Amino acid sequence: MCFQISILNSQFQILMSFDTFLNLFAASILTAGLYATMSYGLALIYGVMKLTNLSHAGVLMLAAYGTYWLNTLGISPYLAPFIVVPLWFGIGIVWQHTLVKRIMLMPPIASLLFFFGIWLIMQNFAYLVFKSDIRSITNEATLLTYKLGPLVLSQNRLIVFFAGITALVSLQLFLTRTYQGRAIRALAADAEAARLSGIDTDRISALAFGLGIALAAFAGCLMALIFAFDPEFGRSHLLKSFCIVVLGGLESFVGVALGAIMLALAENFSIQFMPAALQDMVSFVLLVIVLLTIPNGLMSLLKGKK
Amino acid sequence: MLTVNNINVFYGSVQALWDVSFEVKQGEIVTLVGSNGAGKTTSIKTISGLLSPQSGSITLNGERLDKAPAHKIVDMGIAQVPEGRRLWAGMSVRDTLELGTYLPRARADKAKNIEWVLSLFPRLKERLSQAADTMSGGEQQMLAISRALLSKPKLLMLDEPSLGLAPVIVENVFDVIRQINQQGMTILLVEQNVNHALNLSTRAYVLETGHVVKSGNSVDLMNDPQVKSAYLGL
Repeated sequence: MCFQISILNSQFQILMSFDTFLNLFAASILTAGLYATMSYGLALIYGVMKLTNLSHAGVLMLAAYGTYWLNTLGISPYLAPFIVVPLWFGIGIVWQHTLVKRIMLMPPIASLLFFFGIWLIMQNFAYLVFKSDIRSITNEATLLTYKLGPLVLSQNRLIVFFAGITALVSLQLFLTRTYQGRAIRALAADAEAARLSGIDTDRISALAFGLGIALAAFAGCLMALIFAFDPEFGRSHLLKSFCIVVLGGLESFVGVALGAIMLALAENFSIQFMPAALQDMVSFVLLVIVLLTIPNGLMSLLKGKK
Repeated sequence: MLTVNNINVFYGSVQALWDVSFEVKQGEIVTLVGSNGAGKTTSIKTISGLLSPQSGSITLNGERLDKAPAHKIVDMGIAQVPEGRRLWAGMSVRDTLELGTYLPRARADKAKNIEWVLSLFPRLKERLSQAADTMSGGEQQMLAISRALLSKPKLLMLDEPSLGLAPVIVENVFDVIRQINQQGMTILLVEQNVNHALNLSTRAYVLETGHVVKSGNSVDLMNDPQVKSAYLGL
């Protein structure tokens, strides 16, 4: 292809071929699918319970290890979510009923410290059981790629993308079409009014918390297919999740999707200008800029225009 | 039907209700009147379980409910239309109505009941897919009343339904309250518009700083010189 896109930089001009552009764009969209899955659990728990779940990162990490461990037992990593996700859903419900319920009544600093503590325990648990070696799941299937004209797509990234989107769409249908799902939204909007409509807010909180944790676990399973991980895994993804949730405005599904696309684009295209090692920095810089300029997220801009 | 017996309610260490007693009989419209801070909303919130009394009892048809959680009290048959409507922001009118039928016993004839509330408030029919919080104050009040009715209550409690509404809409809302009462609904009303409330209700209780200071038939209270000067500005 002879078509060229030029991007002007203060020091030098980089020429990006159309093929590169196309591949980066496709990679961004695929990454965005995973990012949206990864951050929606955080947004759900914040939206419904006003809790910042720092242990989100620990769930991502332990779910990745779960997938790895099942793989060593001979269970395909593509089937692992069917075991790992329901397990974490259950753990989430038990957590809510035993510990989180009490934390919710305390000032925010208590819940932040609580979830931070849980995260540290999870990390130490992983060090104890899985050691500090970097693990990854590789077999012939994980390395497969497809060529679609100029596009080169990895099979695993495609699977991760479609699995993530399927999970998000199912969750969205649940939240909009069922009694329990609508009750979760009602609880997020006005808990007292929810109680006055006969909604058992303790039970619905537990359901929302379980779903948020389950979604994090699902994202962790998917990440195990494409990333290497150790017990520290999840830390940068937690910050990316915050960045996406803040970008998208809290509590909004469309917002989370938009935020995920923005971050994925920024990250993938930044590689053209700066060392890949600095890629994680993009999300943090973006987070700071967004907090300073549009603290209510992209959706607030859209609403303002109306 | 509803008996409130000597309840004492505190906000932290501040006592808001002092030995408050009143009752609502089947088919009545009873109103609690009083100035701001007299304890009207506190009374209603205590009945619906959002607050719990330190002593005293509340019974519905002989069944104790002062120890039950709020969602159980709704299931027992008491619905509250809270002050300020408290609709769920961002949720459509249709979803709000659907969620009004959340209780299993209310889901049974959901379609019929939604049709019934839409016949009470035809304006909501044109607004079904609109977000609840983007409607006018009057329409929001109609939706809040509909949501409460859809839980199929025996007793409907309304907290300041006329607050912030245009006079013509207030008439409309009061007409509907009268209409559902004629269809057999027992009603407990809290209202700052004392004139309206006394006109609508069968009996009334006057609250002052957390005490019941007067009670009787609404007609009698309307002619009571003290009530006249304190609340009716006559």
